[in-house]
Amino acid sequence: MDQIIADLTIELNHTTGKLLPESSLMEVFSTEQWRLKRIIASMGLNASDGEDVLQDVSIRALKQSKADSLTALSSREDNIKWLIRVTVNRCLMEHRSRRTFRRNAGEILKRRLETKTASKPAIENVIVAEELEIVRESLQKLDDSLLAPMVLRYFCNLNSKEAGEILALSPSAVRIRLREARIILAKQLLERGVD
Amino acid sequence: MEKYCENIEQMLVDYADEQLSPSDSSKVAEHLARCEHCRRLLAGLQKSLELAGIIWADSLAETENIRIPTTKIRKIRWLRYAAIAASILLVTTVSVVWHTLTRPKLNELTFAEIERKITESGSAARLLAAAELLSDNPEAETIVKQQYQHIVETYPETAAAAKAKLRIK
Repeated sequence: MDQIIADLTIELNHTTGKLLPESSLMEVFSTEQWRLKRIIASMGLNASDGEDVLQDVSIRALKQSKADSLTALSSREDNIKWLIRVTVNRCLMEHRSRRTFRRNAGEILKRRLETKTASKPAIENVIVAEELEIVRESLQKLDDSLLAPMVLRYFCNLNSKEAGEILALSPSAVRIRLREARIILAKQLLERGVD
Repeated sequence: MEKYCENIEQMLVDYADEQLSPSDSSKVAEHLARCEHCRRLLAGLQKSLELAGIIWADSLAETENIRIPTTKIRKIRWLRYAAIAASILLVTTVSVVWHTLTRPKLNELTFAEIERKITESGSAARLLAAAELLSDNPEAETIVKQQYQHIVETYPETAAAAKAKLRIK
C-alpha cells in the first residue's frame, strides 16, 4: 500500500509540474548510462544480459531515489558512485558461465578493419588476431575479484581510490588486485610466445 | 629470474601506470636497462592492456544499442497495478460464475413438483378433515390418532401435517 501511495504521489507531482524527488538519481542514471554500459560490456556480458542488468539497475535506482527522498538528497558524485557500484555488483552476480566475450579475435579484427580506412598487412592481422584471442581467453578466465578493478581502473578511468569506494576495498587493495590481474594477463601472453 | 626481478615485478604495473615515486621509477628504469626478462614483462603488460581495451571496446559496441528509457519504468509500475487490478477482477468474475453454476437449485421448482405439492396438500387436508369429523366419536379415538400419525409421516411438509402434530399432542 505504501508503494502504491508513493507511486501515486510521484505521478501527481509529475503531472502538477513539481520537482520529482527522485529526479536527481534518475537523471544521473539517464546521463550516465554510457558509463554503466562500459562496465557491463567490459565485464563480458552480452547485450541481452546487459539489458537485464541495466533494467535492474534502473529499478533499483528508482527505489533508492524514493528512499533518498525521505532523507537527504545525495550529490551527483555520490549518485554516480552508487550507480556504478550497483552495476558492478549486478554484473558480478551474473553466473560466471554466462560471462563471455562473444566475438572471437577474427571477428573483432574484421569489425575494426571495416571502420578503418587503412588496413594492416594480412600477416600482421594474423598476429594481432592470435594475441587478441589469448587475451580474450585470459579475460574470460580471470577471477571476478580481479576483473572488476581492472575494468573500473582501465576502462572507466577511475583511480584506485574511486574504484576502491565502489568495490568496498582500500586503494592499496585495489592496487594489489590490479597488479595481480595485469601480471596474469601479461604472463599468459608471454607464455604463448608473444613478445 | 633473479631475486631482484621479483621485487621489480611488484613495481612494474605501477611503473607502467606511472604511479611510482620518482626515486622508485628511476630504480625500475635502471633495472629495465639491464634485464631483458623484465623488459619483456613490461612489454607484455602494455600489450595485454592494449588488447584488453580492444576487446572491451568491441563488447561496448554491442552493448551501446541497449536503450533503457527512464520514463518506461513508471509505465511498468502502472502496468503492474493494472495487472493486479485485472487479476482481482478476473478472480472475482470466475468466482461469481462458478458459484452461479454450481450452487444448489433450492428455489427452482418445476411444474411437476408444484403439482405434486398441491396434490399432497389436498390429500393431507382431506385426511385431516375426515379425522376431525371422526374425532367427535369417542370410539374412533384410536383410529383418529393413527390417521393423524399417518398424515404427519406421509405428508410432513404440508399445513395439515402441522395441525395433525398439534392434535396428537
